[in-house]
Amino acid sequence: MNNRFFSSLALRNIKSNKQLYIPFLLSSTAIIAMFFLMVSLMTNKFVQERSSSLPTLFMIGVVVIGIFSVIFILYTNSFLIKRRKKEIGLYGILGLEKKHVAKILFFESLFSSLLSIAAGLLAGLLFGRLVFMLLNFMLRMPNDIAYTTSLLSVGATVALFVLIFGITLLYNISQFTFANPIKLLKGKQEGEKEPKGSLILFILSLIFLGWGYAISITIPDPLAAIEKFFLAVLLVIIGTYLLFISGSIFILKALKNNKRIYYRSGAFISISGMLYRMKQNAVGLANICILASMVIIAVSTTITIYLGSEETLENRFPYEHNLKLFGDMDYVAEMNNRFFELQDEVIELTEENGLEVAEMESYRYESFFGNLEDGSFVFEQSSVDGDLPVLMMVIPLQDFNGMTGENYSLADDEALFYHSTKTYLKEDLSIGNKTYSLTEIENEFSADMALTESIALVVPDEAHLLDLREDYMGQFPESTHITVDAEIGWNTEGTEAAEKALAEQLESEYNGVSGSFSRYESRDSQREEWYSINGGFLFLGVFLGLLFTLGTLLITYFKQISEGFDDRGKFQIMQKVGLDENMIKDSTKSQIIWMFILPIVIATIHVSFAYPIVRKLLLIFGVTNDMTWLMTFIAVVIAFAGIYWMIYRVTSKVYYSIVK
Amino acid sequence: MTLLEIKNLKKIYTARFSNQQTEALAAVNFSVEEGEFVSIMGESGSGKTTLLNIISTLDDASSGEVYLDGNPLSKIKDKEISAFRRNTLGFVFQDFNLLDNFTIKDNILLPLVLSKTPIEEMESRLPPIVRNLGIEAHINKFPYEVSGGQKQRVAVARALITKPKIILADEPTGALDSKASQNLMEILKGINETGQTILMVTHSIRAASFSKRVLFIRDGAVYHEIYRGEQPADEFMDRISDSLKVLSTRGEQDE
Ligand SMILES: Nc1ncnc2c1ncn2[C@@H]1O[C@H](COP(=O)(O)OP(=O)(O)OP(=O)(O)O)[C@@H](O)[C@H]1O
Ligand SMILES: [Mg+2]
Repeated sequence: MNNRFFSSLALRNIKSNKQLYIPFLLSSTAIIAMFFLMVSLMTNKFVQERSSSLPTLFMIGVVVIGIFSVIFILYTNSFLIKRRKKEIGLYGILGLEKKHVAKILFFESLFSSLLSIAAGLLAGLLFGRLVFMLLNFMLRMPNDIAYTTSLLSVGATVALFVLIFGITLLYNISQFTFANPIKLLKGKQEGEKEPKGSLILFILSLIFLGWGYAISITIPDPLAAIEKFFLAVLLVIIGTYLLFISGSIFILKALKNNKRIYYRSGAFISISGMLYRMKQNAVGLANICILASMVIIAVSTTITIYLGSEETLENRFPYEHNLKLFGDMDYVAEMNNRFFELQDEVIELTEENGLEVAEMESYRYESFFGNLEDGSFVFEQSSVDGDLPVLMMVIPLQDFNGMTGENYSLADDEALFYHSTKTYLKEDLSIGNKTYSLTEIENEFSADMALTESIALVVPDEAHLLDLREDYMGQFPESTHITVDAEIGWNTEGTEAAEKALAEQLESEYNGVSGSFSRYESRDSQREEWYSINGGFLFLGVFLGLLFTLGTLLITYFKQISEGFDDRGKFQIMQKVGLDENMIKDSTKSQIIWMFILPIVIATIHVSFAYPIVRKLLLIFGVTNDMTWLMTFIAVVIAFAGIYWMIYRVTSKVYYSIVK
Repeated sequence: MTLLEIKNLKKIYTARFSNQQTEALAAVNFSVEEGEFVSIMGESGSGKTTLLNIISTLDDASSGEVYLDGNPLSKIKDKEISAFRRNTLGFVFQDFNLLDNFTIKDNILLPLVLSKTPIEEMESRLPPIVRNLGIEAHINKFPYEVSGGQKQRVAVARALITKPKIILADEPTGALDSKASQNLMEILKGINETGQTILMVTHSIRAASFSKRVLFIRDGAVYHEIYRGEQPADEFMDRISDSLKVLSTRGEQDE
């Protein structure tokens, strides 16, 4: 018997098991396309160039989808192979050697993997191109974002899925070589057994989930968020699978033991059915839950970023016109003069352009890195070391009062103090050779201060700035970057044309001139670029949302179809002993709680716990308004629940029409 | 009192992809008294299953009528048909038709659950039945964990639990060995002795010999019937096999 014989036999098997193979091939194709799209996005030019944290986030996405693919294909494969046990068991009884059965299985795997990988790559390419085109059009992107794929992403996809299909082949072969034929013949009848130690699994799931949640809740700052996000996601995914496997079996068994609930026609049929394939059921639900969480996070965050563009702009550029002055170590006095001169200069320039200065703010400041240690701020050279030091901004009182309109006065050993984490509770703070008695104030400074642990210290006058610098230089004589810098920001009132003219004039005056030590930025001229970047994020978010929703659709479809064919015989028998169509509907209805509510509720819990960490991540993109994110988040949860409801309804109709 | 009356029952199957018609039942007439145990015998393809399916309301007759307690089955509304099947009929099939996702106990309770019977009622009906059928020890197992004979007894229990007017059995011993068949037939006989009406299709002369009357079907019509009366089982068996021989030789002569 040669390979040709086995390969044609394998092909015939696939054809004659169409009912099983079509959903299997379809959903494998979809998951392959999904992974391929994700890898392609990771290497996409926009993702690589727009923000330093995007490639990391997409890397996380790729790994998550990768893990998801492994679980999903193993899951669908186990479904498939279980229902073919009898058929393949017959080969053994008809006298085929195990080696030969393995060969048949090999060819079956080969054909189905070749087909789905090829189809997946093609589908991914088409879907990516098409949806990018559509989104470019619909979101009116100023610069089209191109969908690109590389040989590398093709290679990665092929490699991963060849590996996964290889694993399923080994699994299938082991199923048949280690089982006796009689057991195989009964394979389809036997229900799934409860996994061993399900209590331990349940406890483990709580530990994993709790750990993941804890990471999110306790995350101190955005940079830590990027670092820990992946771990948290991974923990929650593992926790979700374990929770569904142990928890759903636990609940189902409890329901079964409650006679008043169990012995009612709808529950009777659906609970026993779910217990019969408890693991498959659990994995399927966990898959849906994870995809739902991903849709909600991807879409709600990117919408928030987009909606928050204006706010982000205001955070980054607090005034319409912003001028930053870089200090010089050796000419501190000149810098001070220049600071006041410049203010007069820009007012003059503004008025020359026929505009009025509506509001103006200016302040000088000095920044240090260091750590809070037991009542004192200990300088550190720079931020390159592993542990992130605390950023301290020191401002003279005169400038602070000027910018806030407050009227504080400070004695020589007093200072105003703002701490982003509000974890420093002492009354005094030593810094350098000085000790200040502190009065706490709110963040009157830049919103960026909340990004990492930061301190603002308002000292009595400029002399303190210089003293602190002395102390610092005494500790790190080589250091060159501690200078007194200054910010000048002002709003103007007048015609748009005049505003534009002013911006252009200021730009040519202060930017790009070597040795000028200043930089001018106009909010208006930044706006367009900012919107195109944030539009790009929205684009990616909507794309991922679509992708994951499609994934949810396919998984739900696969689950309903395969379970429908599985249950068909049972419903026929039950109809013979008096099951009517309304009861079939009843039993599909009582699955709603499981199929619909459970994944959505748990996904919502996941995403709610992800809130703190995602909020920190959003800070990186300049979003500080919690309200926007909360509202979008709620809207997206509701919208996705609606979409999933439709998916659920349509697929359960499919199920109903199969079993009826 | 007559429980079941079948009048001029006719069934014609039309093949799905051609106009070829098969007359499965030509004109069947017979009746079953309350408390009777009737076997139907006949060659393969003579229309026994078709007849049983029509009585079971699983299939419709082309013409003619089945009366149960004097009520025509064809007048039962579609909506009520399932409830009718659940409450008045009990089924035993050749291939058991047990559900793998239910324990033996739940398989037996299934029709009651479908009828929304209170749980107390279900639990009081179960023990005497499973004790009678000798499957008490297995009620928490699953169907694939018990033998064929035990499965069929489970199926009988499922048929009995609704206290049906009549039990319809299509070759209940068809998948069982002789010992398990003997055992099952004794059980059915015992059930009949408590007043339960049973209508059974069978190929087995031994199985038929447990009943009180045997009907012989040929070419879609009742051809002959014999009563057991007070005869012992082996004499009745001989009479049944004689009738079968006559039936088949006459058949050959007819052609
Ligand atoms: N669904 C159907 N469509 C067309 N013809 C059918 C159908 N079911 C049965 N027949 C035909 O009707 C006739 C009677 O079939 P039936 O199944 O009632 O026989 P039977 O007496 O039960 O036979 P057996 O003892 O082999 O079970 C046969 O000729 C059969 O081919
Ligand atoms: Mg038959």
